[in-house]
Amino acid sequence: MMPRWKGKGLQAKANADPMSKIVSQLQSSLIQFETRGLLSSCSVLVEVDAELADLLNRSCFGRPRITAQEDKQWFQLDMEEAFYLCFSLKCLKVIGEDGSIKSNEELWDYFKSKKLVFPVSYKVYSHLRHKNWVVRSGLQYGVDFVAYRHHPALVHSEYAVLALSEGDNDLNGRLRVWSDVHCTVRLCGSVAKTLLTVIVNSNNQGANSPSCLEHYTVEERTITRWNPERSREDQTSPKNGTKKGVTRF
Amino acid sequence: MATHIAPLRKLWALHVLDGNDIHLSLKELYEKLSNGKSGCYWELFEVYKHLRSLGYVVGRHGIPWSVKGQHIKSGTCSLEGSQESNEMLEMEPKDENSVIELFNNMQITDVSPAFNVYLPNSKFRKSSPGDPSFVLYISRCSPPSRVEIEALERKHGAIPFKFCHVENGRVSFFSFAKTELPVLS
Repeated sequence: MMPRWKGKGLQAKANADPMSKIVSQLQSSLIQFETRGLLSSCSVLVEVDAELADLLNRSCFGRPRITAQEDKQWFQLDMEEAFYLCFSLKCLKVIGEDGSIKSNEELWDYFKSKKLVFPVSYKVYSHLRHKNWVVRSGLQYGVDFVAYRHHPALVHSEYAVLALSEGDNDLNGRLRVWSDVHCTVRLCGSVAKTLLTVIVNSNNQGANSPSCLEHYTVEERTITRWNPERSREDQTSPKNGTKKGVTRF
Repeated sequence: MATHIAPLRKLWALHVLDGNDIHLSLKELYEKLSNGKSGCYWELFEVYKHLRSLGYVVGRHGIPWSVKGQHIKSGTCSLEGSQESNEMLEMEPKDENSVIELFNNMQITDVSPAFNVYLPNSKFRKSSPGDPSFVLYISRCSPPSRVEIEALERKHGAIPFKFCHVENGRVSFFSFAKTELPVLS
């Protein structure tokens, strides 16, 4: 599936403003301002000035919260987003209820206690973010994440992502039965996205600490429905001098 | 058309032979296909019928195309037209079996491929069929795991494969393709 840009010239705009650079600017700014996040249930709240707010918006981390304050803005980060900024980009520190800064291990344990599959979903989130894809929650589509090539204002998301783990300890439980495959593929198709499963193998490293993550391996697979009614033309036989579209299997 | 209850092989031929009596043949065919050890053939038949009716060339995986000494119309492996039917009924038992075993002794297991499928209009020739457009697996229980899919990728190499799920008369085809999202700038 080709990326669907939302308007003319937007692809060029995206190319001129690479996501990697925006994220890098965000990282520098967060470090410069020694930004602190507050742990709150399943989110991390950060208070930022206009410049940081702009960078958070452009790099698609967190959601702005409406407040009465004029000079400062509050952003709410998901667990994966917060952990990415803390652990991978090392540009954010998170403060707990007691006012002390949480270590990465403490954050890891905390997030795991809130979400059993956090190690797997985080691995998938960081895997895609490392490749400079924009990753957002996919809850409204019944999947874990949606992945965009750039800012959602410029382009539609191409992939609906399910974070799966291998083997018997697969806690996600998705796509175990055919009805779920039918349902998920159909839903993805109706919103013009390809179903992407990102399968995480822990390689028996367990999930005791975030340092286990680097030993996890990841495999990406798309699940698509093939429609025999539509794919009948032989790709090598041109009709009337015109070349037919390639039939892909 | 014979009105007595014929063995499975003749029912198959009769079914595709005679459009007028197809109703009766189908009923007998259904009964045969639902009984005993041939109970699992029904899904195979549904898939086969579905693809054939769309013009695809479908052969059983692992069974050679050419049947010695027969003039089977090139480009098809099914048994259409009265000429082939007469020929088929006249076939030597040995050769008859090799075509009939399209479904006999066929087990649907998630690990053994069911069919080789070729695109319609693909200039298919029985004498040199070439690689199929894809290999088709019929799934019964659950979707394949990553491990199973990887094993199949090693087995089939460059030839793609698909999984077919049959339920309630609905035939659906799915591909599980390895991919790698590009690193963006």
